[in-house]
Amino acid sequence: MTERSLDMLIDEVVLGLASDADCARLERMAAADPALAARLERARQRFAPLDDTATPLPVPEGFWDRLSDRLDTAQIPPAPAEVVDLGEMRARLARWRGAAFGAVAASLLMACIAGWSLMVPPAPLVVTVLLDADGDAVALVESARDNTTRITLLEQPEVPSGRVMQVWTKPDDAGPPVSLGLLADGRSETLTIRGLTAPASQQLYEITLEPAGGSPTNLPTGPILGVGRANDPVI
Amino acid sequence: MLGVARRMLRRSDLAEDAVQDALVLIWRRAAQFDPGRGSARGWIYTILRNRCLTMLRQEAREVSTDAADLDTTPLPEVLAQAHGGLEDATGLRQCLDRLDAPTRDAILASYVMGHSHGEIAGRLDSPLGTVKARMRRGLIKLRECLS
Repeated sequence: MTERSLDMLIDEVVLGLASDADCARLERMAAADPALAARLERARQRFAPLDDTATPLPVPEGFWDRLSDRLDTAQIPPAPAEVVDLGEMRARLARWRGAAFGAVAASLLMACIAGWSLMVPPAPLVVTVLLDADGDAVALVESARDNTTRITLLEQPEVPSGRVMQVWTKPDDAGPPVSLGLLADGRSETLTIRGLTAPASQQLYEITLEPAGGSPTNLPTGPILGVGRANDPVI
Repeated sequence: MLGVARRMLRRSDLAEDAVQDALVLIWRRAAQFDPGRGSARGWIYTILRNRCLTMLRQEAREVSTDAADLDTTPLPEVLAQAHGGLEDATGLRQCLDRLDAPTRDAILASYVMGHSHGEIAGRLDSPLGTVKARMRRGLIKLRECLS
């Protein structure tokens, strides 16, 4: 292939005019030839300013939930040697929820650059099943090392009007419960809190019904919807 | 990302699918990303664009029932917006301005809207070979101008 026709192939791949076979061929060649990969990247950069001319759109409602569901079921590629923890991914994703779309792209970028492949597999999360007074499982609580806590309600609890679900934990078994936050929408949610020690096995988690806005005393006052002690998951 | 996808797919529901597909792919392939080979932003947009192109080329496309999903902006307007959205000072803008209008529009239609040679030829009512040759000459000029 002449240099000139190679340049044309590169341009047509970047524009989207090349056939699938040509795209695959060029990708293979670029994978084996850093100089060619650099040419391909330069060609992409030439047209990249056009990406910025698209009108930015707001993220539709429910977008992150749908994405999160898909990541939960997404297959992890078998090849990489490192362990990718889905729970950690979900927690990460949830932290980003609500961030501007561009910021998410930037976060993805950071996740890439920060060396995804070098990342030490995260310590196992603590998982707690909360049971109600009848012994039925009402919620699943997954806590990351930094106390990002994902609460998945397993059934729709009856929350009287003027009441809200509040999530608590006892970092120190002998100490007072600490509020992790409110499930203001009455739905599954991920809560973040700073300044607590990493959750440990046997740590107590519970959800209580509190007056709207949360417990006025900052301690549980209402009936317990579900309570349980944390377990180290076997991963 | 959504804006780029909707401009190509002309439907907001498909655009969301495309961005979701792309984000899942990005998660899965994060380990393959090599910062030494280019910017992450470029890598992310390449994955998104490829996903959109695949969706565009798929023959069987479910028909949207919701008119609100449709992007009905006329094609010349979409191209003019993309062209006009480029800052005057950028090399790409200056070099595109040196091309004749049909060639420039053909190149913009391929990158911005994912149109194939065949679609561009159909729209211009020109023979496929002529369109291909004209676009190739345009791309050579563009490359020389930008290098």
